[in-house]
Amino acid sequence: MARMTFPPELLRIDVHGLVKRYHRHPVLNQLSLTINRGDFCLLVGDNGVGKTTLLRILAGLVRPSQGAVTLYGADGPSNPLVRREIGYVGHQPMVYQDLSAYENLLHSARLYPLENREARISQALQALGLVAHQHQPVRTLSRGLLQRLSLARATLHQPSILLFDEPYTSLDQEAAGFLDRFLQNWHRPDRIILLAAHRPQRLLTLASHVAWLKDGRIDVHIPVSALAESPELNSYLGEVT
Amino acid sequence: MPKKPVALVVLDLLSLILVPLAMLIIIVYTPVEVVMGPVQKVFYFHISAAWAGMVCFILGAVGGAGYLLTRRIRWDWLSSAAIEVGLVFSIIAIFSGMIWARPIWNTWWVWDPRLTTTAIMTLIYLAYFILRAGVSTPEAQARLGAVFAILAALTVPLTFFSIRLFRTIHPVVIAPADGTGGAFSMSPRMLNTLLLSLLVFTVLLVDLVWRRVRLAQLEFEMTREVE
Amino acid sequence: MKAIGAYLGVVWQILRKDIQVEWRGRQGLPVMLMFALMIVFLFNFALQLAPDVQAGLTSGLLWVSLAFASTLGLNRSISLERENNALDGLLLAPVDRSAIFFGKTLGNFCFTTLVGLLLLPVFSLFYGQNLLRAPLLLVILLGLAAYTSLGTLLSALSIQARTRDVLLPVLLYPLALPILIAAVEASRGVLAEQPLSEMSSWIYLLLAGVLIFNAAGLLFFETILED
Repeated sequence: MARMTFPPELLRIDVHGLVKRYHRHPVLNQLSLTINRGDFCLLVGDNGVGKTTLLRILAGLVRPSQGAVTLYGADGPSNPLVRREIGYVGHQPMVYQDLSAYENLLHSARLYPLENREARISQALQALGLVAHQHQPVRTLSRGLLQRLSLARATLHQPSILLFDEPYTSLDQEAAGFLDRFLQNWHRPDRIILLAAHRPQRLLTLASHVAWLKDGRIDVHIPVSALAESPELNSYLGEVT
Repeated sequence: MPKKPVALVVLDLLSLILVPLAMLIIIVYTPVEVVMGPVQKVFYFHISAAWAGMVCFILGAVGGAGYLLTRRIRWDWLSSAAIEVGLVFSIIAIFSGMIWARPIWNTWWVWDPRLTTTAIMTLIYLAYFILRAGVSTPEAQARLGAVFAILAALTVPLTFFSIRLFRTIHPVVIAPADGTGGAFSMSPRMLNTLLLSLLVFTVLLVDLVWRRVRLAQLEFEMTREVE
Repeated sequence: MKAIGAYLGVVWQILRKDIQVEWRGRQGLPVMLMFALMIVFLFNFALQLAPDVQAGLTSGLLWVSLAFASTLGLNRSISLERENNALDGLLLAPVDRSAIFFGKTLGNFCFTTLVGLLLLPVFSLFYGQNLLRAPLLLVILLGLAAYTSLGTLLSALSIQARTRDVLLPVLLYPLALPILIAAVEASRGVLAEQPLSEMSSWIYLLLAGVLIFNAAGLLFFETILED
């Protein structure tokens, strides 16, 4: 049974006047951004510019100092029900070392809570090639496998919005290729993907949009197809690869 | 830095005048207590300091609540300023209590409830500053400090009641003398002096907290250039 | 109704997960028990407690051991969530964040109570008193309910600081003092064969603690973690 408490047509990331302050000088300063249903948007910008902060705010993990974030018209990530539609893959895998992959997924499944848990978990393990390792304690898994477990955890509840924070970091060729294919499969007209990338060039074939975070704001936000018209962004993307 | 408001100037002057005036009154006008002798006069500032400390801590919790509700940093200035000033008043209360206790009960420290509560409160508010010092960002300092200040204020009545259930050798202030060690009754002059002392310390409290808030504001404005 | 079910489900799952991880060899429980026993031995030699020690000392010693051992457990419990940022996983769950508070508190409560229950026969053996009495159990349950809820709240606070592990005791002990006093006094009364009605004030105090700290958890836990 699909739990559609929010009408899918309303799905849209809407950020207005977002400010986040840790010290005197805000990290995010009057940031506005709109990402439509079906978009696969790359979030680019220098290290420390605030990509992680923005993603965590969208996931509901960080509270804005000012401004509005909505994901379904009037509702944003501070509404617990909206969080059901969010999947987040951060720098850390968010798992318990002493439990197995299977147990971690079961834990996650129970938090949502999900129906047909066994089936869903089986499916996820299969889709992400984790079946052979499902009963080992997580601390024995390699970085690549941990990444896959993260993906499984983030997508187990079939969210409509996927947020990624630099998922390609320290992945080898094979693992990166796997992630490429995963993203390609996941990208559908009724979903949103927002992915912060440090080296975005390789993803330009997969993504539909690029957003450039600079000086606390989104400086440029254009479809990939229109990149030629933005020489500054183009050269920036060339530099960081 | 905005110019000092007239009200603050007035408070400064009032404090400067009232404190020595009160001391003079205590020494000259107020009668000497029969049993304890002159050292009993420490009592007026001792109680007033304890009272001021208590008011400050409540102010600290109010400031904390204000910050959590509005997220405006001014409330954090109030909260941390009040707790800092309150800490000073509490320490004064403890030391004056010790000075009073020594000749009367022949010991520097009495494990009686009221003095002990004040000591505990002092520890709690020192912990407040240790917490703030251990946190990296001003935003977290304000937010976590606010929660702790509110929690701390909530435990004060618990502490008070838990201790009230103990027998106390700390004097019962306004009740008639009933022979339980250390109690004394207050003549009208003593009562007036006490009320005056409370008033003086309240003025002093407001003055100090206000000045400390201004200092916090100045520090805040200076960080603008550094970032 | 469904929302309440989901909420309770999260609380229960967090408790379950904590027990599962502990069972898998996290070593929290043995360490706590070991620590409590070490304290008993230490105090025994430091204070030269004779086998016929009074009921009052036994209850004090019991609660000191529990308080210290509990701190170990509280630290371990919250640092479990810190590894690999598992806490984010809990924060992402589609329920009010106070569910995390109640789940963790229940876990801490269960583990500390278990240590307490294991200590009772040990104490009975060492001090020739029968500690296996129902009223004492009640006091332990109430006291630990209040203590662990405050402890869980403060452990979430302290984990945000750089000085994480050492900060928790600094914050916890002064605030928990009224709870510990009440628990010791009530335990003392039970061991001295007094009827529970004699200790009603202490029991009420413990109940007040349970209420206040759980209410605080409900109100503030999300604020503490929101970053």
